[in-house]
Amino acid sequence: MPNSIPRQVSRRHALTIMGAATLLSSTALTRPAIAQAAGDPVRKIVLITDTQGAAPQAYQAGQLIAQAWKQLGLDVEARPMARQAQTDLVWFNRDKWDTTMWRMVGRPERSDPDEMTFNLFHSSTAPRGFNFVGYNSTEYDKVAEQQRQTVDPAARQKLIKQAQEIISRDAPYAFLVHPNTLQAFNQTVFEPASITVQKGVGIRNFWTFIGATPKGAQKTMIINSGTALQAIHPLYIAGAPDSWVNELIWDRLVRIGPDGLPRPWAAESFKFTDEKTVDVVIRGDMTFHDGKPVTIDDVIFSFEAPLTTDKSPMFKPFVTDIDRIEKTGERAMRIHLKRVNAAFATTALGRVFIVPKHVWEPHLKSVEGKPDTLEAIRDPMNVGSGPFRQVRARLNEEVVIERHAAHWAAPKVERVVLRVIPNAEAVVGMVRSGEINLLSEYGGDPDVLEKLSKDNPAIKLTQVTDVGIEFMAFNNRRPPFDDPAFRSALSAAIDRNVLIQAAWNGYAVESVSHVSPAIDFWHSTEVKAPATGIAVARSLLDKAGYKVEAGRLRYPAGKKETLQPPG
Amino acid sequence: MSFALRRLAHSLFVLWAVVTILFLMFRLMPGNPLAAYINEQLSEDDQRLIMAQFGLNRPLYEQYVIYVWNLAQGNLGMSFFRREPVWDVLKSALPNTLILTITGLVIAYVFGILAGAWLATKRGTITEALLVPTALATRAAPEFWIGMILLTVFAFTFGWFPSGGANSAGAAYTSEWDRVLSRDYALHLVLPALTLALYLQGLPLLLMRSTMLEILHDEFITMARIKGLSPWRITIHHAARNALLPVVTAFALGLGATLGGNVVVETVFSWPGLGRLLVSAVAQSDYPLAQGAFFLISLVLIVLNLAVDLVYGWLDPRVSHG
Amino acid sequence: MASARISAPNPSAAGSVSAFLAGFRRILRDPFSVAALTIYLLLVLVAIFADQLMTHDPTQILFRANGRVATNQPSGGTYLLGTTNLGRDIYSQLIAGSRNALMVGVTAAISVAALGTLVGLLSGYFGGRTDAFLMRLADVALAIPFLPFVIVLSGFFRANTWNIVIAVALLLWPNTARVIRSQVLTVKERAYVEAARVTGASDMRILFVHVAPNILPLTFLYGSVAIGWAILTEAAVSFVGFGDPSRISWGYMLQDAFVSQALSRGSWNWFLPPGICIILVVIAGFFLARGAEEVLFPKLRS
Repeated sequence: MPNSIPRQVSRRHALTIMGAATLLSSTALTRPAIAQAAGDPVRKIVLITDTQGAAPQAYQAGQLIAQAWKQLGLDVEARPMARQAQTDLVWFNRDKWDTTMWRMVGRPERSDPDEMTFNLFHSSTAPRGFNFVGYNSTEYDKVAEQQRQTVDPAARQKLIKQAQEIISRDAPYAFLVHPNTLQAFNQTVFEPASITVQKGVGIRNFWTFIGATPKGAQKTMIINSGTALQAIHPLYIAGAPDSWVNELIWDRLVRIGPDGLPRPWAAESFKFTDEKTVDVVIRGDMTFHDGKPVTIDDVIFSFEAPLTTDKSPMFKPFVTDIDRIEKTGERAMRIHLKRVNAAFATTALGRVFIVPKHVWEPHLKSVEGKPDTLEAIRDPMNVGSGPFRQVRARLNEEVVIERHAAHWAAPKVERVVLRVIPNAEAVVGMVRSGEINLLSEYGGDPDVLEKLSKDNPAIKLTQVTDVGIEFMAFNNRRPPFDDPAFRSALSAAIDRNVLIQAAWNGYAVESVSHVSPAIDFWHSTEVKAPATGIAVARSLLDKAGYKVEAGRLRYPAGKKETLQPPG
Repeated sequence: MSFALRRLAHSLFVLWAVVTILFLMFRLMPGNPLAAYINEQLSEDDQRLIMAQFGLNRPLYEQYVIYVWNLAQGNLGMSFFRREPVWDVLKSALPNTLILTITGLVIAYVFGILAGAWLATKRGTITEALLVPTALATRAAPEFWIGMILLTVFAFTFGWFPSGGANSAGAAYTSEWDRVLSRDYALHLVLPALTLALYLQGLPLLLMRSTMLEILHDEFITMARIKGLSPWRITIHHAARNALLPVVTAFALGLGATLGGNVVVETVFSWPGLGRLLVSAVAQSDYPLAQGAFFLISLVLIVLNLAVDLVYGWLDPRVSHG
Repeated sequence: MASARISAPNPSAAGSVSAFLAGFRRILRDPFSVAALTIYLLLVLVAIFADQLMTHDPTQILFRANGRVATNQPSGGTYLLGTTNLGRDIYSQLIAGSRNALMVGVTAAISVAALGTLVGLLSGYFGGRTDAFLMRLADVALAIPFLPFVIVLSGFFRANTWNIVIAVALLLWPNTARVIRSQVLTVKERAYVEAARVTGASDMRILFVHVAPNILPLTFLYGSVAIGWAILTEAAVSFVGFGDPSRISWGYMLQDAFVSQALSRGSWNWFLPPGICIILVVIAGFFLARGAEEVLFPKLRS
């Protein structure tokens, strides 16, 4: 089942940026000066990248892009910044930066395009939300809102694709690549066919955890994380590895299938009786880890805690479309929505964890009238109804969970151990020695892993294209980045094939829109990669009135430079 | 007795000063504690709420008083991200760090003292010409560099030791004592402790060697030699005992470097200790956690310093009466 | 680190510039010191002529003739020490790193030596409350765990090489100050200091004209050890990810090699050279200290 996407063909026809430059610079520089006076020279542009240590690929890409832009007559400073400093500037000082490398990471729930479509570019999220670039288009806003309210998949698909076309035209970002997620497992320990590759996510997914079948005596799955866990908590998720564990301990009504589409899970069925009403029937064979049965009251409580109180702020947004919930039977409830939400199954039913009411109701009472929330409350047993129960949690070191035998879809492995190993060299050593038998996270050099797998046939490599995107974000608030023509030209100057080869080592595919080809139902094939190259970029700039004089790029006639380069 | 009290008072003063510096360091620094909360849902109200929850909206002097008062009661505050008391987070890492530090120190000092005393008798020989620079070189090399080389050779290539962590995956123990006394734990401890020891042995070795050299020149040693005592006897019975005092002093001074140096060794060997917690807390701007980890490391340092002071005063009465 | 070793400096060391020069000549007779000075000289020369010595721009991405990035090239040929996994020339980075080492080392050495000497002089000479206050301050500085302090400082300010220098200076002066102070205590009792006082010389004059020259060798000694500390600290801070991301240093190279798994690829040509350079520069400080030991403890010179 695990498929290996071959290395990108792009390697073959990698035309270097340098090569392109020498080819074209002569024509550009010898062009006679245009008679009409140009505007001010464009100020120095600061291009923020990750540090080399934190994200070598993005760093490398940033350097290459800076080299390309310089050839347009721009004065570009590539400035590596530590993650915190970068976030502080980009997120909390929205009008103080020019352009930055940024990424949206792939998550199962991002298999529904709503988050990428609405949150990233709708103008309402520009002041504080994910639209940190400040893209503002009433045309786009309309489409983004409509897709939310369109329940019919075919109609919604059309809108999602339309949104991609608008974004492609306006270029608020220069989309770069969808990285390929590289993972591995030991095929002498697990049946290869029992390891599920989830679209856009890879092999570290719910279906692998419950489906992986041990071949021999080793019945413990050992996985790794580079960072420590923050909390194991059904109402509070602060770190990436937290969610891997949480979704195994607590069940959800709906889970995202390997195909990226929501499917009923703890819900036997759910159906929209009209656009704003959902009928849910839960399974009758579910028990919590403490032996008590899962009832419809537990499920209603799980949705109402964030809905009707402010004690579960992190989960509140997931239920924000719900008006009220009524119990309609021993195993049934009806959810009334305030507004139509096409992605409701993914973004709400697929997000909220079912928690035991008998554990959490007393906690809820205990924080009533106090500033505290449920997020700071710990259930030491972490009672859930998911296919695994918590055995031991040392968040800096390792988390051990074991199969919940009474679960209706009980896992095949006895235990899963998540080890916290920050040293990437050690991770490879551990995969080799069997100290890790499913490599769930790998940030290191792909070549090292490929060699390991070649030398050691037990290690099976898997590769999938991520739902996540790596892009160059333009600050749409700041001239000259407020001009779509300018943004498009800068985007055109970037040869994605060179990036894929020189920065991502061939482990990425070109990105043309905010919807990854990994979710092919929503991905628009109409949106094509624009022609790239320095010559293309130059002619785009020229057409938009930006002229090069004495090697410096200038604004169109009459335009003054009003800004300083970021300090 | 009054000496002990004086030292105790002094340690308390130092502790207060460190706490104050710590407070100022974390509150006056640039950097936004909210920068790590990248969250679509974080409205301005939520931001204010978080600031209020962590007392960041009060005047500075008030924060200071609250901070010191809480510390005095053993309350290190709540971690921004873990949403649990800082002490609960730290207490799981503290034993690992203490064990690593102490094991490293003991190996380093036992080896360093013995090797130093022995080297002193080899003055002017080829052995000395080779070993002294070697000892210095291990001291001069970055710890993580040595650690990575050891890891590559002994774990990745030969497979004699595990590649990281403090226990084998999923190993279960009946108690914390059971865990740290297990063979498995010891096996995981070897490489990190050795790395630390390699880094630390230079100081006791060279110090022992030079004080021994000094003492071997003293008259009472010359007397002993005239009396015909064997060089070994002279070394052990007369010189080494006198040479130990400066080594004990250096031990205390070395502690600060050791506890700090743990930070990198813990990262190389994925050792779940305080140093790594500190690094990740700083990386995430989890102020309370970083502050707590820093405080605990300082506290250990001050307590150990006090202990060494007291032992020293007891060993050498001139100090306590001086 | 050498505090205890030289905590009882030779009281007979003469009190003038000529004695200092004599000590310097003696140092030149010690092979360790000569080795140390040679290393320093080399470092300075490499740093000065770095632009001439580098074969490539250390930050530039290098391409091969076929248009592909020159990644993981072995040493030899165009790339003396090979290339990194992102196609930078390792040798040129190593040369560029010498500048950073020199800068960090020298500024840290000067600040530690200056701060330590000044505090030691004032504390030892004036005694009383000044002394009590300054030595308390020294105790506090010694109770702050060194590397964590630097990490916090670099983590919260924009990661910057100068923060490391500042942190080194803030925490490492006490060792110097303590030794200098005890030296001052013995020097100030000497006849010529007494004589100067009787002739009505001001405190400042006595301090800087009569006392200070006597302790200069110690100042240099501690300064040279601080060079090593600063470079090691920079490397450690870079390693855990709080280094200055825009400046090439040996620590930066090591972190780069570490995170891109140079060892798993067997790229010893990448991982070893920066470490060896660090060892050499740090050990030079120790060698100098050791050589000075012979100067400060002439009894051993027999």
